Amino acid sequence: MAPPHFQPHQHPQLMALLHRILERIQFDHLDAVGLAITVHDKRHDEVPSVLAAIGVGADVAEAQLAGIGGPVPDALAYQVPVLSPDLWTDDRWPELTLATMNDRAPQHESIWEQVHGAAAVPGVWADDATVVVCCTLSQPASAATVASLINYEQLVSAALITTAAENASAIADIITVLQSRGAIEQAKGALMGLVRCDAEHAWRMLRRASQEFNVKLRELAVALVEHISGAPAEQPDTGTPITPDKRTREAARLMWAALSEAPLPQ
Amino acid sequence: MTNSQFQMSAAEAEQPPVVTASGDIDLANVNEFSDVLNRAAADSDAITVDLSEVTYCDSAAVRALFAVAATTKLGLIVPATGTIITLLNISGLDRVATVVTRD
Repeated sequence: MAPPHFQPHQHPQLMALLHRILERIQFDHLDAVGLAITVHDKRHDEVPSVLAAIGVGADVAEAQLAGIGGPVPDALAYQVPVLSPDLWTDDRWPELTLATMNDRAPQHESIWEQVHGAAAVPGVWADDATVVVCCTLSQPASAATVASLINYEQLVSAALITTAAENASAIADIITVLQSRGAIEQAKGALMGLVRCDAEHAWRMLRRASQEFNVKLRELAVALVEHISGAPAEQPDTGTPITPDKRTREAARLMWAALSEAPLPQ
Repeated sequence: MTNSQFQMSAAEAEQPPVVTASGDIDLANVNEFSDVLNRAAADSDAITVDLSEVTYCDSAAVRALFAVAATTKLGLIVPATGTIITLLNISGLDRVATVVTRD
């Protein structure tokens, strides 16, 4: 996994690569007026920040993250792709308007007038670190915009994962992250069903439990899925499967019991 | 869960093909879901996906639906309340697909 305090912006090669990926997206979407890659590393209680951007991408993403709301913070919070055919008139973010952006960044007034659609696609690149690739268009955005960004998000996440690994264990780390992605998604889903909460809340519960019990988050996720289903968690065929130890399994059992209001079956 | 979790009925008269899903859709079976969607969309410029019997779906299903909506006119049938309609709203999938709710 990533060494402590891995700071993506301190890696010039990574930054150059991310910039090239953004240029590539721009080439695919000639109507893009802004593109941005936002990262949120929750391991150090950092707030989300824009890592790389072209055009007005940074201005748009930073405005959304400053409390105005928009596809970028929603994609981060809910971990789903977010599409807006017309950003300034979207009823999901009433504060995100042409007037707001003209106030915040009047130097781009002529560009703000052109803006129509936007899309943001999230990904996970370490246990507790997420990324969102977002684009803002002068045309309405469509499902095809999202489908295209989904492909680029995988490139961006792969670049972050390999740089974070920074050594010969890079491939093992990539596989571990991919395995965690599956197990953590499943565990989050189970928690969302049990306590009827959103993905962000489920994520926080998992994180808090892993800290309280002092067990690895990905192992707790696997243990939790296996505890609930009574069957092995879904994991890719490649790599060494994540096998939680006894202490982690006990933590999963306690967590599930504490959250279940009804007595446990069996 | 068996293969019958995702069923496809062929297009008839004016109606596009319908994919009916049930149970949970997540990373464990999203590839299977995508395959059925792609097969349904292969010979038609529109498809309907009935999610009214789906108990849980997450980001993986949303991605699969965006992917198929990129090339096909997508109609969705979903429960009137619950997490699926919320997910459609958060993701904006409801802005590019025709959504019909069912109680």
